[in-house]
Amino acid sequence: MRGTFRFLLLTALGLIVFPFIIHPIGGYAGLATQVVIVSIASVGFNLLLGEAGMLSYGQAMFYGGGGYVTAILLLRAMPEHPNLWLAVLGGTVATAFIAGVIGTLVVRVYGIYFALLTLAFAQMIFFIVEQAKQWTNGDDGLQSIPDAPLWFGPQSVDLQATLPPFDLGPFGNLSEIHLWYPFAAVVLLLVLWFVRTLNASQFGEVLAAIRENEERSAFVGFIPARYRFAAFVVAGALTGLAGSLRAIYDGVVAVEGLGIDRSGSFVIYTVVGGVQTLLGPVVGTAVIMYLENVLSAHTGSWRLIEGVIFVLAIVFMPGGIVGTLRSAGARKGRATLRKSLDPRPGAP
Amino acid sequence: MALETRGLGKSFGHFAAVADVDFHVEPGELRAVIGPNGAGKTTFFNLISGVLEASAGTISFEGRDVTRTSGPHRVHLGIAKAFQTANLYPERSVLQNCRLAALAHVQGPFAFEVIRASQRLGAVDELAASALESVDLQAAADVRAGELSHGDKKRLDIAIALATRPKVLLLDEPIAGMSKDEARKTEGLVKQLASKMTVLIIEHDMDLIMGISDSITVLHQGRVLASGTPAEVRANAEVQQAYLGGHSAAEIPT
Repeated sequence: MRGTFRFLLLTALGLIVFPFIIHPIGGYAGLATQVVIVSIASVGFNLLLGEAGMLSYGQAMFYGGGGYVTAILLLRAMPEHPNLWLAVLGGTVATAFIAGVIGTLVVRVYGIYFALLTLAFAQMIFFIVEQAKQWTNGDDGLQSIPDAPLWFGPQSVDLQATLPPFDLGPFGNLSEIHLWYPFAAVVLLLVLWFVRTLNASQFGEVLAAIRENEERSAFVGFIPARYRFAAFVVAGALTGLAGSLRAIYDGVVAVEGLGIDRSGSFVIYTVVGGVQTLLGPVVGTAVIMYLENVLSAHTGSWRLIEGVIFVLAIVFMPGGIVGTLRSAGARKGRATLRKSLDPRPGAP
Repeated sequence: MALETRGLGKSFGHFAAVADVDFHVEPGELRAVIGPNGAGKTTFFNLISGVLEASAGTISFEGRDVTRTSGPHRVHLGIAKAFQTANLYPERSVLQNCRLAALAHVQGPFAFEVIRASQRLGAVDELAASALESVDLQAAADVRAGELSHGDKKRLDIAIALATRPKVLLLDEPIAGMSKDEARKTEGLVKQLASKMTVLIIEHDMDLIMGISDSITVLHQGRVLASGTPAEVRANAEVQQAYLGGHSAAEIPT
């Protein structure tokens, strides 16, 4: 309990200073908000890769899916009275449902087959969304999503509002920070708390045991497919939550959010940050999104640089940025990455 | 009747690894399953434990048909197995290995228990500790399972099975590859276990088998060749022919 409190406190402190430290190095407050929202998806992705050993290469179907459901809810179901809670809840529940349907089909395959099958489903959903033009506007995506305020009883909070002006010298001005940032940061903290509790729980313990040795786990009496399914649904819901928030934050959704690049980005963020660490996916998301933002302004070959970083991380830093700071982090990271591609059920 | 099979068969393509096996064990019995390599012993065990699905026949456990019951569910009914090659969580401590099995017993085949940790479950600790004690591995409780000696790994595998509180325990070559000392220790363990539960054992070591079994089933080319007490099996001419290569009974160690 005390460990959890310390973890949350330190993470909260990090999140408080984050938008200010990226200011002098070429970032901006809006980027900080985007990082925090996308991190939620990365944390969910790492629940699959790091804990369950399942390398999903189709997480964008939940990220983009949550975004589209939220956008359609706001545009069609509540254009007059947009409510952020309901829109986000709808997006999250819908993605959990989609993950449940797809999960029943994919949890029985492993490693590279699992990765390819999730990729195939993501491509199918991409195609369906692109074709359902009456609802999704096809390639053009959905624009002018109503700005949904945050309701607390009768009070509503406009997340676009900014903090009061206060000059922080090289660290910018407090007024550059929209209320979106603290809101998204609180959601991320809650998600981290949830995933941390889940990892330490009986469920998390069994999930890790199944990753390490599925056959033994089945023959002490656990049903592996159910655990893998549950992990897939929870990860899908968290990724959907991130996509829903991002849709409202951006005010637009586009098919790219469902695409293979988006799916790959969660893999890169998590591996660079550190699989099997709770904060690794957050750190990885921050580092890569920051570099993308800064470097793509100067060079057209950001994608090449990103690929090189990814390869270097796998080869020289399999524990990722956070894992490398820990003893045995590299060994565990390498074992997890290797196993996540093994097409046989987890065997030691 | 603890366990019974009728017409049990398993085919891989055109190859019948196990065919038409009628088999039954009484509660508390120590039954050996022997036969030359490729006789279908391990396949037979895999059918009973649910690693493999039967292609013919039925399996019943305590009068209940379990032919289509999944492996994990059979464990909860009371059928546990130790593997031919010790099947452990090598990265975890010896105690944690047993705790996982005990957790399965306490928690059931699936529990979406995402809040509470297993550390609070006293029953898990008790089960795990008593399983470790049964195989005399308490002293190694904190050792990483992957670092154990070959013999200790195999005994830990048995302890894992015991932590699930089995009624029928399947031991697939428990002393294979062990040193003499380790083998003697394990033999004592098997005898001890047999006083508490039904034990089915596959073993090539005839000294051990003849010495400890209540009864023996001989498999040959996937079929039951003979079944009976050690003395009966030893005297069986067909067994001598098929399994012992035609040597006389006098040459078989007693």
